Amino acid sequence: MTHQPTTPQFKANSRAAIADGGLQEQMTKALGNSMAKRAYASGALPEFDQLRDAARDLKNHTLAHLDLYLEAYESKVQADGGQVHWAETAEDAREIILNICRSVDATSVNKGKSMISEEIGLNDFLEEKGIAPVETDLGEYIIQLRKETPSHIIGPAIHVTVPQVREAFRTHHPHLPIDRDLEGLDKLLLEARAELRAKYFEAEVGITGANMLIAETGQSVIVTNEGNGDLSQSLPKVHIVIASIEKVVPTLEDASTVLRVLGRSATGQEMSVYTTFSAGPRREEDPDGPEEYHVVLLDNGRSAMVGTEFQEMLRCIRCGACMNHCPVYRSVGGHAYGWVYPGPMGAVLTPSLIGLKQGGQLPNASTFCGRCEEVCPMRIPLPKMMRHWREREFERQLTPAGTRRGLRFWASAAARPGVYRAGARLAAWGLRLLSSGGRVKRLPLAGAWTDVRDFPAPEGGTFMDRYRPDADGKRGAKR
Amino acid sequence: MSGRVRILSRLRRSLSEEAGVTDEERREAVAARLRLAGAQTAPVPEIARTEGAAMLERFEAKLRGVDATVTRLGAMADLPGAMVEELRARNLPRAIRMGEEPDFAGLDWAELDATRGVGRLEEPATLSRGLCGVAETGTVALRSGPDNPVTLTFLGETHFMVLKASDVVPGLEEMWARVRRAGPMSRTVNLVTGPSRSADIGQVLQLGAHGPVAVHVFIVED
Repeated sequence: MTHQPTTPQFKANSRAAIADGGLQEQMTKALGNSMAKRAYASGALPEFDQLRDAARDLKNHTLAHLDLYLEAYESKVQADGGQVHWAETAEDAREIILNICRSVDATSVNKGKSMISEEIGLNDFLEEKGIAPVETDLGEYIIQLRKETPSHIIGPAIHVTVPQVREAFRTHHPHLPIDRDLEGLDKLLLEARAELRAKYFEAEVGITGANMLIAETGQSVIVTNEGNGDLSQSLPKVHIVIASIEKVVPTLEDASTVLRVLGRSATGQEMSVYTTFSAGPRREEDPDGPEEYHVVLLDNGRSAMVGTEFQEMLRCIRCGACMNHCPVYRSVGGHAYGWVYPGPMGAVLTPSLIGLKQGGQLPNASTFCGRCEEVCPMRIPLPKMMRHWREREFERQLTPAGTRRGLRFWASAAARPGVYRAGARLAAWGLRLLSSGGRVKRLPLAGAWTDVRDFPAPEGGTFMDRYRPDADGKRGAKR
Repeated sequence: MSGRVRILSRLRRSLSEEAGVTDEERREAVAARLRLAGAQTAPVPEIARTEGAAMLERFEAKLRGVDATVTRLGAMADLPGAMVEELRARNLPRAIRMGEEPDFAGLDWAELDATRGVGRLEEPATLSRGLCGVAETGTVALRSGPDNPVTLTFLGETHFMVLKASDVVPGLEEMWARVRRAGPMSRTVNLVTGPSRSADIGQVLQLGAHGPVAVHVFIVED
């Protein structure tokens, strides 16, 4: 629930997460076959990589003309009787939404799952103002009861165990018999379904996010599996869509291309259960649907990314594949990242949105294994952008003094081949001296490594020693 | 308005002045791209290009693959009888909720408690007329409106949908072509691919999260 970033404590958060046996077990179970599902679904579509290229290209084109596509989109929404609100900051967005809620005297608001809502801290804000937000996505509902933030962008409650769900329901559904049977997973699902079903009819306002905005038609698109987003937007009097500015795509055909890579990358589905295209309030002849349709377009630092080395991040379609495949995310979970967006996409996006000083730890949380970029449906060069952040962190002197000295020393040695080779030889000799049985158990200045695992001792000479040609011109033969 | 102006001018500065492209060139590029609406410029996968009997077969197989059920009917007039059978087999009351769909209006619903209108809190069974079926993914596309109120699609515990065999199209491209041909854009276009589901509790997939627990499609011969 709290949106005060704990990103600067990433290291401490991670240590705590790794020491939390229950969380570790749950993460292993929850992320279990997520990689296999994506691999199977993408492998079954021979054109998958071509579609990724096409999706990347269409988004690049859109971003290069983003102002114009937003204007085109806006005029279409207005033509259908909808209203578009532009929010430069999170605060602007919250105020706009509050004003809309107050204009219809709303006391409760139903919400479909939206990461933008998390980004702007909407729930806490509405509660402060006396409006009750009800999360209707099952995962979001569970974490709302537990007063937590999502730990994954598409599976917000993947860190929650079944007994914890049971406990939350017993605590927060006090009107139900205390001794009711909640053993089976189906019982839990049915209870949540019944609880929320009534709430759909009570709220005056429904808020959803948007997976895409279509410039051609002025439609907003939500992609879900539960149907909660559709109930949240069809039953109340007012539907508010909150979307960040980069969500726009030109045409319905472009939307199809994005859909073909989205589900497969996210959950291994060829198509999610519900993909809904909505435009404007109910028409005169419509028997259902909202009477008012509002779109809040959120910038919150994104327009400043355009034209920089971080522009490509705006292609992201929030599938979550990068975190499912990230060894760091899989080890520490989403909460350790300390703000709204975890994993590789979070490590790149967070410093853009809350500043390098707050978010600068996250781009360091990578082994640069490259899996995230390998699976990204939009081919976002995530490791490269994490490197850009590290460079900026260094330039702005945000890196700790010890690390800076170390890097400077390394840089000066690496620029002098003679010194570097001598140093490498010395290091190899030293490591062999400290090792026993090919392993180094304790290493000065590298305690962070050797405290938890052994360091391998070098087997032969340095690379350059091995690489230098022999007298007969053969390379690499020397040991 | 000021937020709008600031966001747009910031974008314009980065994308036009600093990128060395004139606004006019960019406007032309956008107009050209939007003129392509209706034509897919990206690759269309093989699975979205089936035809004839293979296409219908794929549609049915894909529906079953997403936990929906299917039956074929010889004529639209057979629908009420088939519906009675389906409701009985599913232990549901002999009642069905639907919109003002003309295809359903002329049928003999005497054996059923058939009511018309929007979805209510408790809806054991609802019926919609789909605009088209997509063989690529087993998706049914629906247009909202008085004929097919959108709430019926999400509030029905079992949701029945009717398509003619000629409504089945190979892929998303032909689906959009049909949507465009059907007249002004309805408030919502709903693409439904099987019954509602969630894996948010214990990461075990369960059907019927908020929307229908079951989805059944009747395909009527033309």
